[in-house]
Amino acid sequence: MNLEKVIFGFFIVLALTLNFGFFLGEMDNPQYHNAYELFVLVVVNLIATGLKLGDRTQIGAILLSTSLVADLELIAAAIYWTVVVHVTETGMTPDVTASIVSLSGGALVANIVSVVMVVAETLMLRR
Amino acid sequence: MAIRPRPVNNPVIFIILREMRTPILVLICVYAVAILGMALIPGRDGEPMSIFHAFYFVMYTATTTGFGEIPEQFSDAQRLWAIVCLFVTVITWLYSIGAIIRLLQNRFFQLAREEWRFIAAVRRISEDYYILCGFGDTGSLLARGLSDAGIPAVVLDKDENRIRALRLRDYNVPMPGLCCDASVPRFLIDAGVQAPNCKGVIALTHDEEVNLKIAAVSRLLNPNIRIIAVSASQFHEETLATLGHDTHFVDPFKVFARGLGAAIVNPPLYVLNEWLSHARGVTLDMRLRLPPPGRWIICGYGRMGREVHQVLHSFGVETAVIDPHPPEEDIDIYIRGRATAKTLKAAGIRKAVGVVAANDDDGHNLSIIINARGLNPGVFMIVRQNRHENEVAFNAANADIIMQPSLVTARKILFMITAPLLRPFFSFLLRRHRLDVRFMERLLTRLKETIGDEWPQLGSVVLSEKQAPALYRAWEEGARIRLVDLLRDPRGREARLAIVPFVLRGPDERLAFLPEDDVEVRVGDELLLCGTEAALTWLEATLNNEHLLFYVVTGRDLPHGWLLRWLYRQRYGAAALCWSPAAETGA
Repeated sequence: MNLEKVIFGFFIVLALTLNFGFFLGEMDNPQYHNAYELFVLVVVNLIATGLKLGDRTQIGAILLSTSLVADLELIAAAIYWTVVVHVTETGMTPDVTASIVSLSGGALVANIVSVVMVVAETLMLRR
Repeated sequence: MAIRPRPVNNPVIFIILREMRTPILVLICVYAVAILGMALIPGRDGEPMSIFHAFYFVMYTATTTGFGEIPEQFSDAQRLWAIVCLFVTVITWLYSIGAIIRLLQNRFFQLAREEWRFIAAVRRISEDYYILCGFGDTGSLLARGLSDAGIPAVVLDKDENRIRALRLRDYNVPMPGLCCDASVPRFLIDAGVQAPNCKGVIALTHDEEVNLKIAAVSRLLNPNIRIIAVSASQFHEETLATLGHDTHFVDPFKVFARGLGAAIVNPPLYVLNEWLSHARGVTLDMRLRLPPPGRWIICGYGRMGREVHQVLHSFGVETAVIDPHPPEEDIDIYIRGRATAKTLKAAGIRKAVGVVAANDDDGHNLSIIINARGLNPGVFMIVRQNRHENEVAFNAANADIIMQPSLVTARKILFMITAPLLRPFFSFLLRRHRLDVRFMERLLTRLKETIGDEWPQLGSVVLSEKQAPALYRAWEEGARIRLVDLLRDPRGREARLAIVPFVLRGPDERLAFLPEDDVEVRVGDELLLCGTEAALTWLEATLNNEHLLFYVVTGRDLPHGWLLRWLYRQRYGAAALCWSPAAETGA
């Protein structure tokens, strides 16, 4: 067993599962989507990105880019949330919620790609 | 004023424009007259139409769109003019469309378009490629081999049907083809002979004069290019040799005759060569029936017969020659006439151990097999197969060795390109075998244990920044890496990849044959390896991926990313991340 692999895998899978949890539920109903969950999700995603920095291999580059995609979409969702609640004060109407959740859905796909690649690499090198 | 060459950018557009000039001019004139007439003829209220309305009306009349909308009610003069417009403009359109169709069917236009497409396809190739001149039996075999090795090629052939056949094949790499005379400099330039990623020109046409011209023109157009030409005559070889460095000629009959000579003095080498070439039914276990020593009969004293005679003679083998032509040189037993039962008997077929049917006529060669087998069932038969399409008949004839000049040439050229170190390796094996007869047997046993029943692949790799980036970075960090480390399995380093290293060439051109495990590899080393396809892929992964390389060298895992590497260093110290092997740090 290798501590590095544990940490690496832990954050990548945690990001995916949190993302899935946030995405789950009715698309346009704000009741199903928690602001704190989104906050934790953004933080975990950023940590996962940080772990992937500095890997010079091809697979490392792709892992980093999927992570950056997820970050981008989640941060966009968080900013949108902040704007509708605090700036325009329209609140979480169904169409705003749907936009935020679909952004997190995009991030979910990127996270799935990440996990699939990590699993594929691990399976290839059985040791 | 200096005379400038015609610009060569996109000739197809020029041809279209030139051919379409008249139709376009006619169209413009007809439209202009029609619009002008409409704009001049007075309407019902005495006022003529505006030019805009006239333009609008003529546009839809001319294309016979037939809109119902008319700007205003027409006068009879306008109606009369409208009838004229309708006829004239429709006829003009028919003429213009006819001109376009004529142009598209024009043979020269099609040729120009094909050439233009071909140039675009050549420019799109980003890897190193070769130019193949001639796509006959040899060319298509070679193209298949290059495709399997992942090397693109550009094909030129005079025969349009061959180029069509090329387009129907499915290759793993781009293989654009053009129907043209490859010895014309313009077409060689089209094929990219001056491009920086063009590595060589291979001249394989049936005409040796053409091959020579292709070689000379290519050398003039690009002094650094590699040139390989097929040639079976002394004169052409001498001329080719004057073309400077990196010019090679391949004589299929000489190659085969040398192989045959090697088979007689060093049978395992012949087996190894056949096995590496994936010859049908050859395994390292199965001992090929090899040419036995004794009297040999050579039927046909042409190019192949002469080469075989020379080689056999140089090894001191007794030979008899049957040929209808008068003897040109002094040969002990020379029987004039075609090889029939009578002449074969005269040459001593009953006591002979082998017969070489070396005519350039397949029917003749097949009948020699039947005759010789009838007279002496145990005789060893070597037969030359000239045409690929007769393969079934030759297989049924059950000769011991079938020699196809096209196959021999294609194999030889393919090995020259993909495994340039193979030739020195084989001459090393030939030398070494003279000193130690058991040596080849041991090598074959080692190959059998390592590779097993799988198909062997030859792999050639230069340990440079381009081909082995991970290794290059490791060297920059001060690593010392032995050959054995590279050949470990990245899935578990106790296991070895199924690879036998054949040759290691240092940057100073020094060759090490069958290098030992603990040889240290350095920048610029070139390796010739023999292994399974999967093993060579894993080796490539090791050379490209620093995590795999770190593991196979040190036995430890290199943490991904800067953060984890920093944590690792805090915990285990800087020594944990240096490239020293596992045993020294005890990890």
